[in-house]
Amino acid sequence: MKKRSMVWVLLLAALLLSTSTLWAAAEVEQAPTGPVKIVYWRSLTGVAGDVQEELVAQFNASQDKVIVESQFQGAYAEILQKLLAALAAGEVPDVVLLDSPFVPLFAKDGALFALDNLVKNDKTAFNLKDYIPGLLADGYYDGKLYALPVMRSTPLLYVNGDMLAEAGLPRKAPATWDEFRAISKAVTKYNAAGEMIQVGAGFTLGLTTAHWYFQGAVYAYGGQISDEKFGMHLSEAPAIAAATLWQDMVFKDKTAIPSNSHDDFLNKKVAMVFGSTGSMGNLLSRATFQVIPAFIPGQVQNLVPVGGAVLAMTSNDKWRQQAAWDFMKFMTNAESNAKIVIKTGYMPVTTSAANHPDLVAYFKANPERAVAIDQLKYTRPQASVISLGKGTEILRQMVEKLLIANMDPATVMKETDAALLKEYNESYK
Amino acid sequence: MAVKRDSYIMPTRGVGVRRGMTIRTRRDMFTFLLFVAPNFILLGVFVFWPILYSLILSFFKWNMIAPKKTFIGFQNYQSLFSDPVFWQVTRNTLVLALATVVVKLSISLVLALEMNTDIRGKSFYRAIIFSPTFTTSVAVAMVWSWIFDPHFGLLKVFISPLGLRAPDWLWETEYSLPAVIIVLIWSGIGYDMVLFLAGLKNIPREIYDAALVDGVSPWQNFIYITFPLLSPTTFFLTITSFIGALKAFDIIAIMTDGGPLNSSNVFVYYLYQNAFQWFKTGFASALALILFILIMAITLVQNRLSRRWVHY
Amino acid sequence: MEGLLHRKNFTWYIGRFFTHAILILASIIIGLPFLWMITTSIKSPAEVSMFPPIWWPETVRWDNFSKAWSLAPFGRFYLNSAITAGTGVILEVMVAALSAYAFARIRFKYSGIFFMVMLAAMMIPSQVALIPNYVVLKHLGWINTYKGIVIPHVSSVFGAFLLRQYFLTVPGALYDAAEMDGLGHFRTMLYIALPLARPVLGTLVLYLFISKWNSYLWPLIVTNTQNMRTLPVGLAMVRSAEYAIGPEHLMAASLFVLVPVLFIYFIAQKQLIEGIAAGAVKG
Repeated sequence: MKKRSMVWVLLLAALLLSTSTLWAAAEVEQAPTGPVKIVYWRSLTGVAGDVQEELVAQFNASQDKVIVESQFQGAYAEILQKLLAALAAGEVPDVVLLDSPFVPLFAKDGALFALDNLVKNDKTAFNLKDYIPGLLADGYYDGKLYALPVMRSTPLLYVNGDMLAEAGLPRKAPATWDEFRAISKAVTKYNAAGEMIQVGAGFTLGLTTAHWYFQGAVYAYGGQISDEKFGMHLSEAPAIAAATLWQDMVFKDKTAIPSNSHDDFLNKKVAMVFGSTGSMGNLLSRATFQVIPAFIPGQVQNLVPVGGAVLAMTSNDKWRQQAAWDFMKFMTNAESNAKIVIKTGYMPVTTSAANHPDLVAYFKANPERAVAIDQLKYTRPQASVISLGKGTEILRQMVEKLLIANMDPATVMKETDAALLKEYNESYK
Repeated sequence: MAVKRDSYIMPTRGVGVRRGMTIRTRRDMFTFLLFVAPNFILLGVFVFWPILYSLILSFFKWNMIAPKKTFIGFQNYQSLFSDPVFWQVTRNTLVLALATVVVKLSISLVLALEMNTDIRGKSFYRAIIFSPTFTTSVAVAMVWSWIFDPHFGLLKVFISPLGLRAPDWLWETEYSLPAVIIVLIWSGIGYDMVLFLAGLKNIPREIYDAALVDGVSPWQNFIYITFPLLSPTTFFLTITSFIGALKAFDIIAIMTDGGPLNSSNVFVYYLYQNAFQWFKTGFASALALILFILIMAITLVQNRLSRRWVHY
Repeated sequence: MEGLLHRKNFTWYIGRFFTHAILILASIIIGLPFLWMITTSIKSPAEVSMFPPIWWPETVRWDNFSKAWSLAPFGRFYLNSAITAGTGVILEVMVAALSAYAFARIRFKYSGIFFMVMLAAMMIPSQVALIPNYVVLKHLGWINTYKGIVIPHVSSVFGAFLLRQYFLTVPGALYDAAEMDGLGHFRTMLYIALPLARPVLGTLVLYLFISKWNSYLWPLIVTNTQNMRTLPVGLAMVRSAEYAIGPEHLMAASLFVLVPVLFIYFIAQKQLIEGIAAGAVKG
């Protein structure tokens, strides 16, 4: 009699197990035979997301050997965390759209698959020399190639031309940071109650990009944040000059605000805002006023940190690696690249893409977009500290200390140098 | 109320008469163990073992990816206690918990007293005021981020006419934590009110009737009768709200990311950042353990105090 | 208090007025965010960025919802949330009922110790277990699976406690009769105890479902691909996308998540609130 209750419990256990098979059935989505199925982790939304989906679909339709499943993983910062988590769990995707400064971080721990042999054994018309050297450069780690450039961007300044014209200024972006400050003064308006109507500039906050535009300003002043050997340079004059300028505009001139989204620009609260070349499509299509895309202001020089994403291979299976390689080549070929450039405003990554008839015609018709190409000459990789686990967080804190807490720039920079060095010693070395 | 003290007593039929191990008792033992097995296996693996494992991990340096963990003794605790952000986070957490508890309980007590009359429309009011309790916190945080918008937010509608400056709530160091507190109060009032109301219903009517005969004023009524007799509820809510506030995460993760400058960073969010954003597993485990000790301490103090202070 | 006087004089009306005024004010403060969410979700971008804001848009923009729906695979998120919350509730109730029945009806010398151990588990905050649970799941290969989302949270202390209390109130004679009919423990639980506990079981199921549906932190940590995300995690992800998405789309997307919960709440509102008030459910 009592045995029956045991039988029931066992049945229950069996039920539990069978539900897990049900789950498994819902989770497994791949067939082991037939075409090779690979997983592609993408980032970015809006047109930049759509164009990736479009290219994946096009690739899947163009051949029957490889099927790519594209999975959106959130912003760059999130894709990194997810990749770390996936590596920890041992279940990695095959191709990842990776924020460029992170190639060394993953390559040094062996998480990325080196592409050199695939390049060497490639029997197609593929030519590595076609890639623009400045953009291919940060795909290398320790002499080996780990990534191909795909959606590369530079930071740009977006200017509300109408607002400048209203203030009696020419519809022209500032060439230097001094001009940037003067224009901001001219367009700023407060009402009688002292409430802000509009100001000159919005300085980007947040984890993902705040550091990038700041790096741009430091480069313009002739300095850098950190070098390849992880020497820290924030306490030097150029970085302090850039920091002081930003802070003074917010707190002394009151002609700029810290801003956490492009909404402030689109809602005409600020006349100038930083953005990636990749934001161009979105901003041009949504703004109800004239948008002038321009270089990040120079000062002693014009120089900007290249951002955006590269394609890296995380595959750990020979067949999938070959499939992943085919997909990577497709994503960066002239045709695909021209499509990406036209849709989003990212930069061409190969010479053949830059000379692609579609692209040549396109820049002729849309001269304001050519700025992305013009700025190509003035690019260099980002600071090495970006690849530290806590690197972007420390720089986010730095920008907030400057622009929200109004702390003394020299002190802030010294603290930031120390924090970055500590993080390097703890987590990278 | 969740668990009343007096119900901690043992199951009555389980503790049986002492007899030899008859076939029946042995069979019952077997069935008993079989029945509780799923629960105890799960509790063991996912609730008890983690405490021990956190303790172990807190002595190691490990990034969760590397196959190798490095033993570093008390170094994680040392860097924890010398970490200014840890102290800032601790302070924020306590401020958040205290402010939330005091304001939320006061408001919900007033509302419960108003609801404890025989006015019409009670169930309507109750349904509305209680509704945030079961509302998805991520969605709540989304709406409130938009309410706090410095240019077009709803809150500005009420602040601007007063001639006050509408702050940029989520991006100013002095306002980010208050913003979080406001949202937590908004979401928690209904639950507390319903529990207070249940507590009020438990106070025998006769006491008030007797007081009425003695000509006691409503205020005296509240001070000498209602408040003391309500103290078990008040005490229970204080403790559970406090512990609940120590565990705040969702609202902060969505609204402020703990910023700006860690001004709204709290214990669980900092733990999350360390563990799952920066992969400092050992450091985060030390943090987890401190949170555990804190909550255990409060629970024990609750057990002690409730015997002395609370009028039953 | 006033009600006892049964005399509707001037003071009585004043008191009434204030009581209603306070409760109406509270209801407005609680209700306004919901209203704000709904009206924002049907505005045009221009209407969203207006100050002072308008309460009703000139034309209702239903297409905000289709735009929001296309921002992420919300259909998949719905499926994931339904599967994880649904199976989670079923498993947790089963686990709870088994323990509760054992504690209430099966003789065992040391059941008291087991009971204390179970109650002790209630004091341990689940946040402390994040890292160890992640590591355990990693070893089991359960990261980014439904199992991984569900199983760590189906152990039950409160539900077991609650059901035990209820099982104890069932008259012993019923159990004896069941035993005489030759029912084993499992079937007694299934056919006698559980049906009698139906009212409390209903509240428990609703409550567990809503809290699992709403949970954010654990699914956030344990899922890492789009196709495994639950609604709250998916929603948070939409917000953090690099390009600005208008508030109207975010509010519309938030409504996707909220509608099922609010629906359950307004259908079973009385049961849920009274369940809590009667001590049926711990918050």
